[in-house]
This record gives sequence, structure tokens and C-alpha cells, in this order.
Amino acid sequence: MMKNILEVNGLTKKYDNFELKNVSFNLPRGMIMGFIGENGAGKTTTIKSILDIIKDYSGKVKIFNLDYRSHEAEIKEEIGVVLDDMFFPEILTAQDIDNVMRGIYKNWDSNLFNNYLKDFDLPRNKQIKTLSKGMHKKLEIATALAHHPKLLILDEPTSGLDPVARSEVIDIFQDFIQNDDCSILFSTHITTDLEQIADYITFINDGEIVLSKTKDELLDEYGIVKCHEEEFNKISKKDYVKYKKNKCEYEVLVENKREFKKKYKFEVIDKMTLDDLMVLMIKGEK
Amino acid sequence: MIGFIRKDLAMIKSNFKLLAILTIVYLGMSLAGQMDISFILPFMCVMIMISTFSYDEFNNWNAYVVTFPNGRKNSVKAKYIATLLMIVIVTIITTILSFIISYVRTSTIDYINILEMTFGLIFGTLLVQTFMYPIIYKFGIEKGRIAIFIIVFGIVISGGLLSQFIDLSGVLNALSFLENYWVITIIILSVLLTYGSYRISLAIEMKKNF
Amino acid sequence: MEIIISNSSGVPIYEQIIEQIKSKIVANELTPGQLLPSIRNLAKDLRCSVITTKNAYDELERQGYVKTIPAKGVYVNEINRDLAREEQLKKIEKILDSAVVLAKINNLSRKEIDDILDILYEEDK
Repeated sequence: MMKNILEVNGLTKKYDNFELKNVSFNLPRGMIMGFIGENGAGKTTTIKSILDIIKDYSGKVKIFNLDYRSHEAEIKEEIGVVLDDMFFPEILTAQDIDNVMRGIYKNWDSNLFNNYLKDFDLPRNKQIKTLSKGMHKKLEIATALAHHPKLLILDEPTSGLDPVARSEVIDIFQDFIQNDDCSILFSTHITTDLEQIADYITFINDGEIVLSKTKDELLDEYGIVKCHEEEFNKISKKDYVKYKKNKCEYEVLVENKREFKKKYKFEVIDKMTLDDLMVLMIKGEK
Repeated sequence: MIGFIRKDLAMIKSNFKLLAILTIVYLGMSLAGQMDISFILPFMCVMIMISTFSYDEFNNWNAYVVTFPNGRKNSVKAKYIATLLMIVIVTIITTILSFIISYVRTSTIDYINILEMTFGLIFGTLLVQTFMYPIIYKFGIEKGRIAIFIIVFGIVISGGLLSQFIDLSGVLNALSFLENYWVITIIILSVLLTYGSYRISLAIEMKKNF
Repeated sequence: MEIIISNSSGVPIYEQIIEQIKSKIVANELTPGQLLPSIRNLAKDLRCSVITTKNAYDELERQGYVKTIPAKGVYVNEINRDLAREEQLKKIEKILDSAVVLAKINNLSRKEIDDILDILYEEDK
């Protein structure tokens, strides 16, 4: 049985003012991976490349252990996507989507789709353009799920949703992975969603993967040391990842807080959140 | 692929009212003996199909379909088939109406004339489609409009210039034998042009980065 | 099975799961042979990641509290209740120890400590 549902290897793509540099990570089967990074860090470009929406990248993408060139249709039968700003023409209705998708996916399940519409309180016969932003997102999610995909690729699926709707959507994602054949790649800048349900975190900054590991390891091992300048000066450069100088203290990101504690005996080592990680990695200095 | 055709038909559904009104106008004007506007319905159809491109573009549908099985290929194919379907249906309606109009006005039916018109309509609308679709796929609907304008302008100018320097009568004479085979010529030409246009659009779409 | 997870307590979620399942087993709320929710089910109920619940079950299994039967699920093990109780007692002792240290620093009498304990026990009822 295959271990990784998705393998991204050495993805490289140059634009005039931006570059994806050798992006690599693996998504194991049955897991949820949170893909985090600033706006413009390369999340969407990576996802578009994985989906073949961008074609002229170098590097290799394997989905279900298959290559696009030889198995495109097969792979895409089993992927569901929610993409930022890409969807059905807005003069169509949910009913139209049902009719259309029945002619596109072998496994399209009208019953399942209708159940989602009911669960989400979405109207069948209203044009998409009349829906609120939240309802629009929910319709996209329902559409992505109704052909029983094995892999969900979601670009900012919770953006624009209020907390209640976000919670509903998170429930649906967790329902989805009750089947251990199913996996999710989920890009977002709302890290609280991920702090709960993600199994893996992949962090991209300025077109480069900074880290990709299990969330439990990450939150368990990394820590934030708060100290004064004189203490900070005692820390050797190799013992921290990044630091940020605030008004009355230094915030120092360390990779292994237990080791650090042993070595330096500092009092205040805080638990790190994903937000802290992002801020320090992006704004911090070395 | 049937899904993509359904999607295009669902999109033009809202234009059916307009087509119905145009049909009545067409009937009215023809029965009243005004000018011949039998071209209006088929041409409206092509224009409505072209308008579907704007909606597609507005919601990035063309990028979204890439995530479907064989999405790039099937969406282009479906666009051509849906257009053909519309042209054929509307041309048949126009033809039938022409029979009726002809009968009402003159108590006879001018079969040859009407059938000539039918073939002319199909050929004319297909020409528009085959010409415009690859340009729209290449440049998008906004820039495509400009591109179409420039190309048409270019053809007219260069055609005009050419005819100044080259005697085309020889070519026309050589082609004149086709006159007796015009039906078959138009059919073959239509098929070739549509197929060629489809292949070009497909090649553009298969390579596109969104 | 009722498990309450705090996201702000600072205790890692998987440790909270382990502790709570353990005490349920010791208290006989979970009886030997009882089927526990699957890792995916538990993850959904607790809104945490699958890896977290898997780690918790793995650790419980290592300590002998549960047993995984492949393709069937995770079951509560027959445990040595005395040993488990012993372990819990040690923990209580440790917590009380720090309370006593603090009490002595502040010159609290034994009576006062007893009163606090009485109140805490009452509150819990």
C-alpha cells in the first residue's frame, strides 16, 4: 500500500519577480497537511503546479504514486479541489452544477451533493452570484466533495467564513478523513484552524519550504525564549533559529526547547503557536 | 465531456427569451415583406456562445476545469460541439420558418433558394466561430476582441493591396469548376475549417498556464 | 467516552488524552475488553489531529492499558488495578507534597490544610 498520497519533488518555477525554489514535501496517506505561509509566499503557485494548472515548472509531482503524463484522468477522478477565485460561472445554479458534474466525474454522487446542500442550507435554484461569500465557499466545498475524492486540495478554504461556518467546514474535513484512505492538503493563513486538526505542517516562505513535519513534533519541540539583551548575548548563534527584538525583550525561536533549557537555564520558555512561528520566521533576524 | 456541453447550454439558457423575441421579429419582418434577416438567429447564436467566454473568464472557469479529468481537452471540445449544436438547431428553425414564410407570401416554396440560404448560414456562422475561437483561447475575450479587429483589418488591407498587384481572375477561373459542386465544397470546407480551428484552440489550451 | 481537552492548559493534548483515559480505566469507568473509539473517530470528537490520538493510544498500549487488535480496533486491557492505583497515588502524593511545602512556607497549620481539603472535596460533589 502506498505511503504517500502526494509527493512534490524539487518544484521550481521562475517568474519575473518571484521564484519557487526547489519545493519538496510529502503528504502521507490518511493525513491532513496544513500548508502555511504569508500571502505571496508561493502557496497558490505550488498548489496550481500540483494540479497542473501551471504546467511549465521543473521538478516532479506524484499523486497516488502516479505521474500526470501517463495517468492524468485517473488521478483527477480522485481529487477534489477548492481554489481561490476559481469556480463555475456565476450565472449557474447548484442544480446546474449537479447536472454538469454528473457528466464529468464517473463517481459523482448527486445524493451526497444534495445532502451537503441541505446541511449547508444552500439553495438549489439560485444563481451563484446571489450567494454570500460564505455560502459561495460552502458550495465550492460541497462540489469538491461530491465525487468521493481520495485527496482534497484546498487553497484557503476557510477564508471569508465566519467562525461558525469555519467550524462546520472543519467538521466536514474531519468526517472526510474518517476513511483512512483519504488525505487533505489545506493552505491557509488562519492558523488556528490548523492548530487543531492538522497532522502535518508545511511552511513556505519566499518560495522556499522552511519546514515540513508533524504538528505535534513542531509544537512540542519548538519554543519561544523571552529574555533581556544581556542574556540574549550569551546565546550562541547555532542554538536558535531566529530572533526578534521587541521594546523591552528579545523573542528567540529555538528548535528544541528542552535541550535549550538544559544548556541555558532560562526561566521563560513559552509554548510556540503557529502564528508565532510564522511571525518570527518571516520578521525575525538571525 | 457531456458535462461541459450541459454547462454551456445551461449558460445560454437565459438567452432563450432573447432568441424567442428575435424569432418573432424575424417572422414579423419577413411576413411584412421587409428586408431578409434570416441570418439574424444563427449569428445571434454565435454571439451568445462567444459571450459565454466572458463568464468563463470572469470566474476563472478555464483554470478550474484543469482539475477535472481531461478537463482541458473536453472543455474545448465541448465548446465547439455546443456551438455547432446551437447553429444547427437555429438554422433548422430558420429554414423551416423560411418555408412557411415563402408559402404564406407566394403560395409556393422556393426550395433551392432556401436551401442555398441554409448552407450559406451554416457556412457563414461556422466561419465566424472557427476564426474567433482560437483567438479567444489565445488572448482571452478582452484582448481577443482587439486581436480580431487587428486581424480583420490586416486581411482587408492586405487583400486590397494584393488585388492591386496580382491578377486574381486566374485563381477565380480555376475555382469556377467548383460551382457545380458547391454543396459538397461547402460541407468539406466547413468540416475542415472547424476541425482545424478546434485543433488550434486545443493546442493553445493544452499548453496554457493559468 | 467523555474526554475534555483544554487547548490553553499548556499540557500537550496527547498527554491530556492519556491521563484521562488512564483514570477512567483505573476508576473502572472503562472496563476491560471495552472497545475504544478509533483514532480517527476520537480525533474528530476532540477536534485534534489523527497523529495526536494515535500517539496517545500508542503510549497507552506501551504502558499496558490498552491493546490494539489489527483490523478491529483498540480495546481496554485487563490491568493490574493495584499497580495502576499505586501509580495514581504516587501522583497525588507528589502534588500534595508541593502543597505541603507551600503551606509550611506560609505557616499554615495542619488544621487549615484539612479545611481546604474538606472544602475542595465538598465542591467536587
